Amino acid sequence: MGISKESHPSSANRLEHVRDGGLKGGIMKKSLLLLCVLLTLLATSPLFAAGTKEAPKAAAAPVVEENWDQIIAAAKAEGTVVVYSTTSRITDAAKMFEAKYGIKVESHRLSEVEVIARLSQEAAAGVVGADLAILEDYPSMKMLLIDQGVLFNYTPPAAREGLAPADQNPLVFAHVSRIIGYNTEKYTSDPFKSIWDLTTPEWKGKVMIRDLAITGEHQNFFSEIIRRSDELAADYQKRFGTPLVLREKNAGYEFMRRLIENDLILRDSDTTICEAVGKKGQVDPPVGFIYVYSKHRDAVAKNLAVTYSANVQPFGGYYYNQYIQQLKGQKHPNASKLFTEFLMTQEGFSAWSKDLGFYSSNENLKGYENDLPWSYWKTRLWTYEPQYAIENRGNILDAWIKYMK
Amino acid sequence: MNIKAQLGRVRMRITPQVVIAAIFLILLSYMVLVPIIIMIKETFTVHPMEQFQIPGTKAGDLTLNHWWKIFTSELSPNLFYKPLLNTLIVSTCLALLSLAIGGILAWLVVRTDLPFKKFISNMAMIPYIMPSWAMSLAWITLFKNPRVGGSQGLFQFITGLETPNWFAYGMFPIIITLSIHYFPFGFTMIAGALKNIDSQLEESAELLGASRGQVLKKIVFPLVTPVIFSTFLLTFSRGLGTFGTPSFLGGPVRFYVLSTMLRANLVGQRTGLGYIIALVMIFIGVLILYMDYKLVSVRKSFVTISGKSGKSGLTRLGRARKPITVVVIGFLLMVTAVPFFLLAIESFMLIPGNYSFSNFTLHYWIGEATTKIGLGTGEAGVLRNTNIMRALWNSIRLGFSCAIVAGASGVLIGYTVVRLRGRKVAQLLDQMAFLPYLMPSIAFGSIFLALFATQRGPIPSLYGSFALLVLACSVKYLPYASRSGIAAMLQIGPELEEAALLQGANWWTRMRRIIFPLQKSSFFSGLLLPFISAMRELSLVVLLVTPGIQLATTITLNFTDRGWYPYTNAVMVLIVFAILFSTFISRKLMKTDLAKGIGG
Repeated sequence: MGISKESHPSSANRLEHVRDGGLKGGIMKKSLLLLCVLLTLLATSPLFAAGTKEAPKAAAAPVVEENWDQIIAAAKAEGTVVVYSTTSRITDAAKMFEAKYGIKVESHRLSEVEVIARLSQEAAAGVVGADLAILEDYPSMKMLLIDQGVLFNYTPPAAREGLAPADQNPLVFAHVSRIIGYNTEKYTSDPFKSIWDLTTPEWKGKVMIRDLAITGEHQNFFSEIIRRSDELAADYQKRFGTPLVLREKNAGYEFMRRLIENDLILRDSDTTICEAVGKKGQVDPPVGFIYVYSKHRDAVAKNLAVTYSANVQPFGGYYYNQYIQQLKGQKHPNASKLFTEFLMTQEGFSAWSKDLGFYSSNENLKGYENDLPWSYWKTRLWTYEPQYAIENRGNILDAWIKYMK
Repeated sequence: MNIKAQLGRVRMRITPQVVIAAIFLILLSYMVLVPIIIMIKETFTVHPMEQFQIPGTKAGDLTLNHWWKIFTSELSPNLFYKPLLNTLIVSTCLALLSLAIGGILAWLVVRTDLPFKKFISNMAMIPYIMPSWAMSLAWITLFKNPRVGGSQGLFQFITGLETPNWFAYGMFPIIITLSIHYFPFGFTMIAGALKNIDSQLEESAELLGASRGQVLKKIVFPLVTPVIFSTFLLTFSRGLGTFGTPSFLGGPVRFYVLSTMLRANLVGQRTGLGYIIALVMIFIGVLILYMDYKLVSVRKSFVTISGKSGKSGLTRLGRARKPITVVVIGFLLMVTAVPFFLLAIESFMLIPGNYSFSNFTLHYWIGEATTKIGLGTGEAGVLRNTNIMRALWNSIRLGFSCAIVAGASGVLIGYTVVRLRGRKVAQLLDQMAFLPYLMPSIAFGSIFLALFATQRGPIPSLYGSFALLVLACSVKYLPYASRSGIAAMLQIGPELEEAALLQGANWWTRMRRIIFPLQKSSFFSGLLLPFISAMRELSLVVLLVTPGIQLATTITLNFTDRGWYPYTNAVMVLIVFAILFSTFISRKLMKTDLAKGIGG
């Protein structure tokens, strides 16, 4: 720490004081130091130990016959279920669940980064703060929580019946869509044929995106642009009739670089972007690149002229999944099972199906009546390949930072 | 001589200040050094998500890759050096500007015959009481140009002129808005110090023929130097760590600072890289702290509160009095009323952004839960929403507890550091008490969770308890209290205590009868900042609160998340009022009037 300095006594009296004190101070200082070191060791050892301990592998849970009467009775006896969630709509579902079963749901809303940080820190300290979690950002969830044995999967009956096997483990709760939005007052028809349009001079200084640096799902998604860079290159050729000239490794990175160099505007919230794009009476409104489609739900109420680009190629945006996972050592295992089941049914999902932009992983469930069905979106939106995203997401953030001028 | 020697020997034994120093050092080393050690260790560890970028490693391996990447890779200019430069410029300008605004205001209020002092003192705290985003929101609303879309900026609407990008976004507005948010630090601290200066010193100098400039230069400045440095240090460090404003105002022109890079790497789950940036921020803070320590200790101490009584004489502003009053009040209205209005108005609009008269409503304040009106939220208006009210009450409790714990610790630390001045222990204590302030909240919160989630030896588990919130906030905001404690103590000479000691007064009596009464106004301003900060804290507490104990700030996340800004803003307005109301009540109860204390 700081460099020591001989004392500056302002009087003889103080000099004496300091000199005398210096001796005893020395002993005191040493014992203090010792204490600090001891404390440090005490505190850090279990922490570090917890960090490096060999995590039990998440075994594929054998499907056992469950007695749901017993589970419900046990859940009611447990009386409470605690959930960490990245979606605030959980509060609506919680109310319905409480009304139906009389089981109290304590929900805590955290951001995608906070939920990961909280779960891993609590696990390291040996605390189980919740019973289940609804979370996003597959790479972080997999690498930091599932593989470390903090979370385990439970597929309730409703999901076993209605979900594609791939969505059952880890259990996908819903899909969230992100689209490319434009102002319909200014552009009466879809202005985009290709995402490469966004990199042309016509759109210079007009494209808005939630800063990838602070948006984990964007980091994941851009790995898909890299992975499918051939499709991007082909689309460029198709759109402009000339082959793409690369300055970067591949068309994906080239797209990223051109997007940024086209005077990209970074914002910190999707709500802001949607309002900026859709506000009426603008001479030259910006376009919003891959913001959450659910922001369009208030378009009528807020008097916004906004819609999504339906024709843009090769992707109209992307979607990411929200997962439901159980905490190892959960205090209310039965209530947690019951709540998970509830969320996977039409009744539970109704908290999310009131609006645009959320789609159940169970295609049999009814979605929002004013939104197009998932079968439509599924073909238009890209998503990321989990393992590829895990391995490349770091490169994406690096590239993003590198291209910033 | 005999008595003096005896006295010296008495003080040499285990004096209270040594005991206090020891206690605080032990506590702080656990709560401050341990987190730093954890952070340092993380910077040498391969994180699970990074093993693919660092070839041939697996999670948990030791590595130097992070350090290399930050400081010497091709990425370094954009990842580190440019953001570092931006940060240093922002922080320096911010600190100087807050110092200038706060200092001038403090001088006017304490040392001149300016009217409406009480009103001005109260107003001058409001920019800090409001969330910092209120100020950036106000800036954008007023000065934005079409680049960010949406409705027209007010300036352009009125004048028809488009603001240039450098004016609307990026470094310039970040500096201005942060300075407006943080100048109250300078105001309270400098006002407290000025108040303690015996104006006889100045009068004597004037009698001896010194000009006003000479008096300022030779007497006032040297006397307030410690507090100027403390203010500089506090505001500069805020500039280092603050994230929201740079992200909001800098994004449109892709302006990055260190805190953005820290956040980016934490979001990217590259904890090692993020923590190096955090450590650099801590290091810069410590460097300034060290300079401060050097400077103040070289200057010896200037004892300004002696046994003699000093009654302040006020500088007459004369003919300038009226124009200055108008300018001061005009400025304060601009920096408080405008952002407050923008904050409040949104809570009265049924549909955000629609300014027509028929759209104004009390629905988000007192409405029943319904999905039929406005945004159709199904939430009851904030005033009849029991969850929100409970959360607000928790925030108030947290603010008070934190103020008392931090405030009392601050006075004790100030006393100890000053009485043990020149010793390494004092320096160490001073620095340790300041470190938590330099730690990024999000990192501090998560490490605190790890430290206290479970019982470790004699340290009990505080998981999910209110005490953990109090502890975290108190430690985090201790620097406000300890800096004002140190600055104030530097002005109190030891002779008062020595006299009391001769009379046989024990330590507790001395503290109670001499130190605390003299320190009352500094103590109070030392309380105020932790109180306000704790009530507004979000990123530190969000990892520590449990569903059972929500705070007013954490509960707003549910609303912000869905774009239900009327609720978020209504809660913020309530927080502002709760802070104002609580300070008002506590002044009455403690019979310590901040405005009067400062106004002289």
